[in-house]
Amino acid sequence: MRRALPVAWSALLTAVMLWQALGPGYVLSYDMVWVPDLAMRPDFLGLGSALPRAVPSDAVVAALDEVVPGMLLQKVVLVGALMGAGLGAARLAPPHSLTGQLAAISLYQWNPFVIERLLIGHWPVLLGYAVLPWLVVASRRARKHQRFPPVLCLLLPVASLSASAGLMAALVILLLGWGPRLRTNLALVATVVAANAPWLVAGAVHVEAATTDPLGAEVFGLHGTRWLPAPVAALGLGGSWNSDVVPASRGGALGLIALLGVLVLCAFGVRHWWRNTDRRETLGLLICWVVGWGIAVLTWACPGAMGSLYEHVPGAGLLRDGSRMLALCAPLLVATASHGVGELRARVGAAEAPGVAATVALVLFPVAVLPDAAWGGSGALHAVDYPDSYAAAADVVEDVRARGGDGDVVVLPFTSYRAPEWNERRKVLDPLGRYLDPDFVVSGDLAVDGRTVAGEDPRAVRVGVALARRTPQARAEALADLGIGFVVLDKDEVLPGLPAELAPEVAGRRTEAGRVTVIALTDPAPAATSPGTRAAVTVGWLLYLALLAGAAGSVVRNLARRRGSGVS
Amino acid sequence: MGTIVTPIVSLFAGAVLAGGTIFGLVSTQTSSGPSPADSNNPVIDYGSNK
Repeated sequence: MRRALPVAWSALLTAVMLWQALGPGYVLSYDMVWVPDLAMRPDFLGLGSALPRAVPSDAVVAALDEVVPGMLLQKVVLVGALMGAGLGAARLAPPHSLTGQLAAISLYQWNPFVIERLLIGHWPVLLGYAVLPWLVVASRRARKHQRFPPVLCLLLPVASLSASAGLMAALVILLLGWGPRLRTNLALVATVVAANAPWLVAGAVHVEAATTDPLGAEVFGLHGTRWLPAPVAALGLGGSWNSDVVPASRGGALGLIALLGVLVLCAFGVRHWWRNTDRRETLGLLICWVVGWGIAVLTWACPGAMGSLYEHVPGAGLLRDGSRMLALCAPLLVATASHGVGELRARVGAAEAPGVAATVALVLFPVAVLPDAAWGGSGALHAVDYPDSYAAAADVVEDVRARGGDGDVVVLPFTSYRAPEWNERRKVLDPLGRYLDPDFVVSGDLAVDGRTVAGEDPRAVRVGVALARRTPQARAEALADLGIGFVVLDKDEVLPGLPAELAPEVAGRRTEAGRVTVIALTDPAPAATSPGTRAAVTVGWLLYLALLAGAAGSVVRNLARRRGSGVS
Repeated sequence: MGTIVTPIVSLFAGAVLAGGTIFGLVSTQTSSGPSPADSNNPVIDYGSNK
């Protein structure tokens, strides 16, 4: 019962939160774009011209969906992220308090950070968030046995599917796992470097594109809600820049009650937690909290200075989505609050009815104060099917490639986000490029409240210039010179009033595929990647794969050991 | 005093939270859901600070 109940509670919360996402179809929400069969392509490995924002997550998905269909894989990842997070958090609660463990699951799985990241589609960040408590557990073992825990060979690659999540995981494991043995410490550092190597190397070879528009600091920094100023909202793990993904309840009295309730629980539990937790863990989690909250608040308090940092320091733009860093605050928040729950539950005593009532109240509190996170954020995560036009367009492109056609894809309108009718007019990063097999160039410009945060990809800028040429033939030639072999027009997305230069006519061999037009260009320039870049990116990936091989080897050894001990 | 107050408070809190949670979950299931993107805007916004 004590083991089964946390698993059952975590599964129930996951089912309620993801309900509409678990039906047939794909969940397409903002940056979350999954397709039936994501094709592996050089850009996913970090060889494209853009900043490697989706390295290594896209490549990992492209590899895994060769085994598991994309639709199923997406659901496995989302369920795994939520349940992994909840069950990991239970390990931060007092071990003898079942109520504390259940409350830890509620708090870590059902909070503003989780629902806001889900709705904005940052699933790799959620996987990183899910891994953080498991890193705390692994570091306990490292300190206890004074040796490197092999489970890190699996945890860190999962946590490092996005750059910012990888950095947060690195901080947690290095702070908590660092010990007196040099060999263990070196192994920790090597594992952290290998897990982050794909995006680190890809970022290093694109260093000229690794600075970002300073306007992003103002737009993407930590934001408050109507009742809660940003630094206060961040105490309860809220503060997304994008008000479209903030549940309505956060803006009202429930948001305030939620924050007060969590802080009271933390205050109740902090003493018990401090006395009953290893000093390295308490200090490590405190430092993580200070770093996470501090960076998030800096993005709100000093947008000018942060903008200057993003503009001049390559890679600093990783920090621009301020509330993302709040993942670092979650382990401390949940550890202290769950100890507070354990304390409160103990005060109620063993009487049956009051005891059960207290448990119900303490465990349900996070859900009661954030009810609109249920049912996929009240319908925002409803799974949908792609229109037939997409599959028809993919067939056309493959047909041209089979007959010797080559080159990358540009999707028109040349804008980043769509709100397709078939996706219930919910916003999503243009999915058509990912649906097709070749590399694709997208506009990195992001429109927010009428302001445009400029993208970083120099090739996308050149594509924009090519599209602005005077004649269809001139556009086609300029695009072909940039290595573009296909222009794909999604006619349903050409909305009234769209500026002409975002979806101009381009000369070429046109094929209609339902509501999508595929234009094949003649003689696109071949892709040019230097051998040095290829070699560096290959090394990054080899390091990453070596970790996964290490994890597989560890599993095999454990199985063999268990089988051996079973025989004897 | 505490032996009387604590169970009563627990029972009250449990009832309120359980009722509130059920009410919240039911009402959000029947709510209209997220507002769709502005169809008058030809370039879809990534999001909003407002």
